[in-house]
Amino acid sequence: MAEAAQTGQGPLTTIVDDWSSDVTTFKAVPWGKAMMWIFLLSDTFIFTSFLVSYMAVRMTQTDAWPEPSAVFSLEAFGTPVPLLLIAIMTFILITSSGTMAMAVNMGYRKRKVAVFWLMFATALLGASFVGMQAFEWTKLITDEGVRAWQNPMGAPQFGSFFFMITGFHGLHVSAGVVYLLIVAIRVLRGRYDNTSFEIVEITGLYWHFVDLVWVFIFAFFYLW
Amino acid sequence: MATAEIPYQETVPLHHPKTWIGKYVFSQDHKVIAVQYGITAMAVGLVALFLSDLMRIQIAFPGFMEWFVEDYYYQAITMHGMIMVIYLLTAFLLGAFGNFTVPLMCGARDMVFPFVNMLSYWVYLLSVIILLLGYIPGLGGPTGAGWTLYPPQTITEGTPGADWGITTMLASLAVFIVAFTMGGLNYITTILQARTRGMSLMRLPLTVWGIFVATFLGLLAFPALFVSAIMMILDLKIGTSFFMPAIVSLGQTLAYDGGQPLLFQHLFWFFGHPEVYIVALPAFGVVSDLISVHARKNIFGYRLMVWALVFIGILSFIVWAHHMFVAGMHPYFGFFFATTTLIIAVPTAIKVYNWILTLWKANIKLTVPMLYALSFVLTFIMGGITGLFLGNVIIDIPLSDTYFVVAHFHMVMGVSPILAIFGGIYHWYPKLTGRMLNDTLGKWHFWITFLGTYIIYFPMHYLGFIGVPRRYYENFESSFYPVSAQHLNEIITWTALVVGVAQLLYVINLVHSYFYGKPAGDNPWGANSLEWCTPETPPGHGNWGDRLPTVHRWAYDYSVPGSEKDFIPQTVPQGQTS
Amino acid sequence: MAEVGQQHPIKVYLLVWLLLFVFSIASYLVDFFAFEGHLRWFLIVVFMLLKAGFIVAVFMHMKWERPTLITAILVPPLVLIVLMYLLAYEADYAWASRIVYFGDEVAPIPAPPPSHPAVPH
Repeated sequence: MAEAAQTGQGPLTTIVDDWSSDVTTFKAVPWGKAMMWIFLLSDTFIFTSFLVSYMAVRMTQTDAWPEPSAVFSLEAFGTPVPLLLIAIMTFILITSSGTMAMAVNMGYRKRKVAVFWLMFATALLGASFVGMQAFEWTKLITDEGVRAWQNPMGAPQFGSFFFMITGFHGLHVSAGVVYLLIVAIRVLRGRYDNTSFEIVEITGLYWHFVDLVWVFIFAFFYLW
Repeated sequence: MATAEIPYQETVPLHHPKTWIGKYVFSQDHKVIAVQYGITAMAVGLVALFLSDLMRIQIAFPGFMEWFVEDYYYQAITMHGMIMVIYLLTAFLLGAFGNFTVPLMCGARDMVFPFVNMLSYWVYLLSVIILLLGYIPGLGGPTGAGWTLYPPQTITEGTPGADWGITTMLASLAVFIVAFTMGGLNYITTILQARTRGMSLMRLPLTVWGIFVATFLGLLAFPALFVSAIMMILDLKIGTSFFMPAIVSLGQTLAYDGGQPLLFQHLFWFFGHPEVYIVALPAFGVVSDLISVHARKNIFGYRLMVWALVFIGILSFIVWAHHMFVAGMHPYFGFFFATTTLIIAVPTAIKVYNWILTLWKANIKLTVPMLYALSFVLTFIMGGITGLFLGNVIIDIPLSDTYFVVAHFHMVMGVSPILAIFGGIYHWYPKLTGRMLNDTLGKWHFWITFLGTYIIYFPMHYLGFIGVPRRYYENFESSFYPVSAQHLNEIITWTALVVGVAQLLYVINLVHSYFYGKPAGDNPWGANSLEWCTPETPPGHGNWGDRLPTVHRWAYDYSVPGSEKDFIPQTVPQGQTS
Repeated sequence: MAEVGQQHPIKVYLLVWLLLFVFSIASYLVDFFAFEGHLRWFLIVVFMLLKAGFIVAVFMHMKWERPTLITAILVPPLVLIVLMYLLAYEADYAWASRIVYFGDEVAPIPAPPPSHPAVPH
């Protein structure tokens, strides 16, 4: 939008001009970034399909659906605090998103040591998120007796959707951690010194998307 | 437009392979990948063709093949459908044509990420292998649930392959989706970000437009299939109840409880209907180009053709439940989905009119590709009009699960795209290999395939009207339909066998012409689009030599009054004629 | 290709970071104070969309992209709203059918689960 303001064109004119120009449609967008955006669009459809399935099954359910805030409560200082672990996980993921955004910013300033440490911190936070998820799963399985195929508190689909959706998100996080570490090490080794640091931004897009998905899972699964 | 932007790819060096394996096996060249996709898709397509002939023999002459028991029949039905729709049509139109035409027609050196493109093929090959693992003896064979794989029947005992076969099928689909995503991201990014100078989107040949919209549909629709495949595997393997309600099966209450079978159908068709257009739109594009080139006339209403493609693409996401009119979904949905379905006929009809108006008073050359293109239009009209019948709820309900439906979808999305594929192969083979395909063999192949198609599928409409159900292993002697229907079945089967064998002509033609065909030259058809302007035929790695071509006009300047020749390639500057 | 990186003052990132914390705490408080019914759903969705919006707009730099990219990425997911709406619409019908055809006639018809809007009879 900022660009449109500079050239004095309305957004609609910019859109029409871009789509009718030659060579590139997304101006000043590198190939990798365009590809990552389109991939994320496709991935959006995957996660939405999961969440819509969850909605359809939960709404048609005649068995009781467990109260998530009670199921996911955690004992702290002797009293059960609802959703304590989930809240911590949410904050960790948001923090990692913040460090990632800073890494991208540093990348464009070509401060590669800062980029490395910020990306490393992001990966570390991501890994701790996955660790907490493992803890949460263990607690749910051993203490509450929830399995993917059964649930002592009511509808068995509660466990099925929980493990499937958070598991698929956890896989995304784990893949993101690996991706972040690879890019971080390559940055430090100077692989991108002579080209640009757009790869950091592309990695960032993926990481923020993972955070974005968690926002929706948090709202629809834990709070609803 | 006309910004003086330097294409990024002109500044990036290509990595030329040094070894034979790098050139022809693990090649990153889009043309080699296209051939690999094409050969694999055709090979697996021949398997599906063979299966269909087995089914036809069983339908016409029950008892003739005693070894062909019920389970084999249902497995053949399932594998035939799935292979044809996904592993042949989708893979061929997007994998082979997409890979071959997109960089050439956009004026790119290659796909934007050649390595990912190469992976796409090998993962696709893996998905085909996993699919065929279903035939490993001793494990119950592939699934026999029908290609729509509706639960609960798909994974309950009694359905062939309810354990091993369905697992390989779902795993194979998931792997295929990964392969498609890698390829599809490449096509989209190449078309949007890697065109040559002067190549605006509205100068692209319609083939690229068709592939572009179809790939976009694929990237947005395959996720729904991916999700439903994961959920069904979980239902099967660890006993979740996503799709499985409480069931009493073979006298036993299963452990499932409270799932929603309709959800699978919704997800499947949320993928499945765009899938119809993933197959149809590239075929539309190819046929538009073939008609224009071989009728020596510009395509009528180019912009409308493009917008029709886009609108069909958008609409295809809100029509899915017309496949589910008898599924017991919400009764109000019939009205909504029948309406959207009939609206989609408008852009489709625009395309058909435009093809016909392109042919109007044109200098039609009845070459083999043109014959295929014309037969596509005819077949597509037939299939499309029966689609109007089935799109209406009250007509669909008595006709569903009869041979009328079989005839409809084979005409509209089975035979039509195949005809477009054949046309495209006859059209681009000279550019791919530098040699022409044999004309006589091609014409024999065309007439047998085309007329055979009509002898096979036309009577099926009638069979459907008298109520012959589809997917039945055997229509017993107490059949409620006249003896003449059984005679029709026999005629259909004999024709199907002839058409099946006739495909050998085509295979022979491909192989023979590769070695002994007439040299083609650079531009045997006198076509305008960029792929015919390459400095070498067949194009080398990098396609364009030292410098990318510059585009000055659209791809359809045929028979322009006052020009020397009856075509003006896209690279000729405005104001000049050759 | 001209290199126009996404470079913006660090202050913006820190501000959004803070806002995300605030919205997360707010949506957490919705649960903590046990709001029920439409108020709860409304608040959850509002905070969710605010968080998602800020992540996409600032962290993913959508705010600074050209409108071409913005529309190309944000418009296609609209078809998902059709899917969601229709499946929710149908879920009511399916739920009611289950109660009508499979409900135990001796026992009273169970009340809808709390997450469930009332079914018209």
